[in-house]
Amino acid sequence: MAHSAEIDSKEAWGGGRSPFNLSYGKIFMWFFLVSDALTFGGLLISYGFIRHKYAEVWPKAEHVFTHFPFVEQHIPLAYVGLMTFILIMSSVTMVLAVEAGHRMDRKGVITWMFWTIVGGAAFVGSQAWEWYHFIIGTDDGALRNVWDPATNAYVKQIWHGANMTVNEYGVPQFANYFFFITGFHGTHVFSGVVINFIIFLNVIKGTYERRGHYEMVEKVGLYWHFVDLVWVFVFTFFYLL
Amino acid sequence: MSEFHDNYPQYEVMANHGEEEGKKNRSVLWKVFWVMLAITIFELVVGFLAPSKGWSGTLWLKTLFITLTLAKAAAIVLWFMHLKHEVKFFKWAILAPYIVFMFYTIFIILTEGTYSGSSGHFTRVDKIFIEQQAALKHGHHDATHSEGAAHEENHEGGEHH
Repeated sequence: MAHSAEIDSKEAWGGGRSPFNLSYGKIFMWFFLVSDALTFGGLLISYGFIRHKYAEVWPKAEHVFTHFPFVEQHIPLAYVGLMTFILIMSSVTMVLAVEAGHRMDRKGVITWMFWTIVGGAAFVGSQAWEWYHFIIGTDDGALRNVWDPATNAYVKQIWHGANMTVNEYGVPQFANYFFFITGFHGTHVFSGVVINFIIFLNVIKGTYERRGHYEMVEKVGLYWHFVDLVWVFVFTFFYLL
Repeated sequence: MSEFHDNYPQYEVMANHGEEEGKKNRSVLWKVFWVMLAITIFELVVGFLAPSKGWSGTLWLKTLFITLTLAKAAAIVLWFMHLKHEVKFFKWAILAPYIVFMFYTIFIILTEGTYSGSSGHFTRVDKIFIEQQAALKHGHHDATHSEGAAHEENHEGGEHH
């Protein structure tokens, strides 16, 4: 930025220079993230629309997500709070890896990227656990009209858990949006862990040491923070509101 | 592959910094983290208390949660993703299209949302849900699968696919 005044405008438009004083890779990572954020924004807004439409019968999150591992009591929101903590924490370790990269501190990058990958994997595991409990449901279950293809009619029965058409906790739309939005986010987290792991191996091999800069860590860091950013919104709209 | 990638020019931004500047940056990042953690814990405590205090679904609670969420989002984008320190034009190239599109979509959905469901005509919900939600509101948790919810004449079911 300090050098922007010195750029000759003829030279600036002549090519061979990346705009915004940023590298090509980082600019396009940002553009990709904007498009991805539009997708998530669209999903969450459509979720809001459907939720408003079925407002009076929409299940409350504190009645749905009440489990905590190894604990018998129902503690609503505790587990998702832990998941949020894990993801924010892994965002911090990622940014510390980027900062270590700026100092060409290879050891620091390795340490912090390692913890980022551990945090990401823990988050994906937690989400799988949450899905599992959502799908199998409670012991009590709830009375539902379930479509019976044999007789082509709805049959009343006690239903446990949720799938795409029947949902113990309330209207099936709740489960549909839960599966789709947290699933889409979980896919992002999973691919983020894989990408982080590949870059982690490169750091160990010394690829960026030879290159003279750790910009690649910065680029995957942008993606990783984006995953955290999306979760902040999913957490609010699915669990808190 | 790596021969090609190793040859791209280095940028001003990637100028590596020293130990001292790193220390300063780290202290800022940790501060941002503690603020975000405090916000999240506060949200969880309020969310935990909400049902028993009768706050659920109130306008001020929704406003509070959305405001805190936007604050956290801003912290991630500005400090963790480093957007605060990018060139001014780049900030706007990233934020302006997104903000415009989101406001537009939210405006459209709020406008259309007032038509949907308000007449009750287009929303066909299984009566079981309405009865169970009413039972939940009155605190009869066991009524979720009780006989009260099942009027035998209500056989048509809700989902018309």
